[in-house]
Amino acid sequence: MLGLMTADFDFDLESTAPASKEELLGRVARGDETAFGDLYDQMAPRVLGLVKRLLVDHAQSEEVTQEIFLEIWQSASRYEAQRGGASTWILTMAHRRAVDRIRSSQAGRDRDTKIGIRDLAVEYDNVSETVETRIEHERVEKAMSRLTELQRQAISLAYYGGLSHSEVAERLHIPLGTVKTRLRDGMIRLRDELGVAS
Amino acid sequence: MTGTGNNRGGAGAENPGELSGAYALNALNAEEAAGYEAHLAESEQARIEAAELSDTAVALGRATAPVQPSAALKASLMARLASTPQLPPLPAPVAAPAVRAVPVPPDVVPTITEASAAPGIDAAPAGQNVPAGPTRGAASERARQRWFRGPVSILVAAAAAVALFVGGAFAGQAFNADQFQQQQAAGLAQINSAPDSQRASNVTADGHTATLVWSAERGLSALLVDDLPALPSDRDYQLWYIGGDGPIPAGTFDSSGTGTVWRVLDGKITTGDVIGVTVEPKGGSKQPTTDPIVAIQSS
Repeated sequence: MLGLMTADFDFDLESTAPASKEELLGRVARGDETAFGDLYDQMAPRVLGLVKRLLVDHAQSEEVTQEIFLEIWQSASRYEAQRGGASTWILTMAHRRAVDRIRSSQAGRDRDTKIGIRDLAVEYDNVSETVETRIEHERVEKAMSRLTELQRQAISLAYYGGLSHSEVAERLHIPLGTVKTRLRDGMIRLRDELGVAS
Repeated sequence: MTGTGNNRGGAGAENPGELSGAYALNALNAEEAAGYEAHLAESEQARIEAAELSDTAVALGRATAPVQPSAALKASLMARLASTPQLPPLPAPVAAPAVRAVPVPPDVVPTITEASAAPGIDAAPAGQNVPAGPTRGAASERARQRWFRGPVSILVAAAAAVALFVGGAFAGQAFNADQFQQQQAAGLAQINSAPDSQRASNVTADGHTATLVWSAERGLSALLVDDLPALPSDRDYQLWYIGGDGPIPAGTFDSSGTGTVWRVLDGKITTGDVIGVTVEPKGGSKQPTTDPIVAIQSS
């Protein structure tokens, strides 16, 4: 199994730009604090944006963001470019951490009422975004619009709400089995709409 | 639970593949996720789907509006770097020279070594390792890379995360426990950087991998367990040195049920000691009151 854990130079396209996040991460793995600072500057607003989308509370979101960046510092050497871009690695970690925080604390219950009154669709009321993130947002919003209402709701509650599939079932008053298939069918549809391929 | 005609397995057991969406969205509990990962280990098709849906989930993440963090966050992070140990790269597999000449069970991830003490010296970037094995299609290769990671490697990767919860006395209050965390992280770093750092693994009664890392020279040891089930609020896990003089308490901890828990043991380890874990009333006991869920000999 260990034999499969190496990486090679098969970088994703996004790694070819100068001082890419992948390069920075490689330097971070060697203890380069300046590179870490640069990577932080590039990624922290995105990480915090995602975490705050789930946790709502700003102070708590900053705490979790700090945990995430410490994990990046510590495990940068385990990032393998072959397995995806650096920002994908970081955002995957960020979502997991945010969900862990929700599940492990009172935070989940505290923010529950806030989530309940929010729009389930992709929410994007911040006008300070870059062109890049706005384009990404529009792509995802368009792809989301191709889903059935139930698929969209289930995916939004799970991903942006940090709910488990059982909680999604409760919230939407539908059987767990139905939630599973909606989540899967919806994610597959999204994958196809977004053109995501390994 | 199974309300619809197209859903045959109520808990996903009969058709684990249908959990791929929930898994990619982090919407499974630990047990369900473990079940799904077992399915991944058996099916390349499932691994590809899991990798693609994970990337799809990231696209959802990219669609959220960025939020500018406070300046204090960066300052605080930068200040913590110097005292935060880093993991060395995973060494090249089997054929490559071992990182250290310490006896290591062949199926266990090579020792965490001096990189935390001298991160710039030997730590080759991950991208410079030599790929092993035949070239595969990009998709299947990526899926394999992503999913075929031994639990111990994931465990070790998680081990140095300072922010990980540690210590039963601080359950659920990780951020009020900075000092304890720092002390624990420093202990782990010392073990990892010790020239005589060693490790041994065993499996708990529930099948979770537990790894003991220790340095006899420094008398320090730590136990790491992957996905250890959460306990009722009136119970703690308790560590013991089990030697000729009977069990000696070595600290308590608990677990959120997902990820890796680790705990640097109180007291001093001597090579040959058996380290055990029992479930005890909250706060620990003077003597074990239950049978150990796992025991590992440090030799």
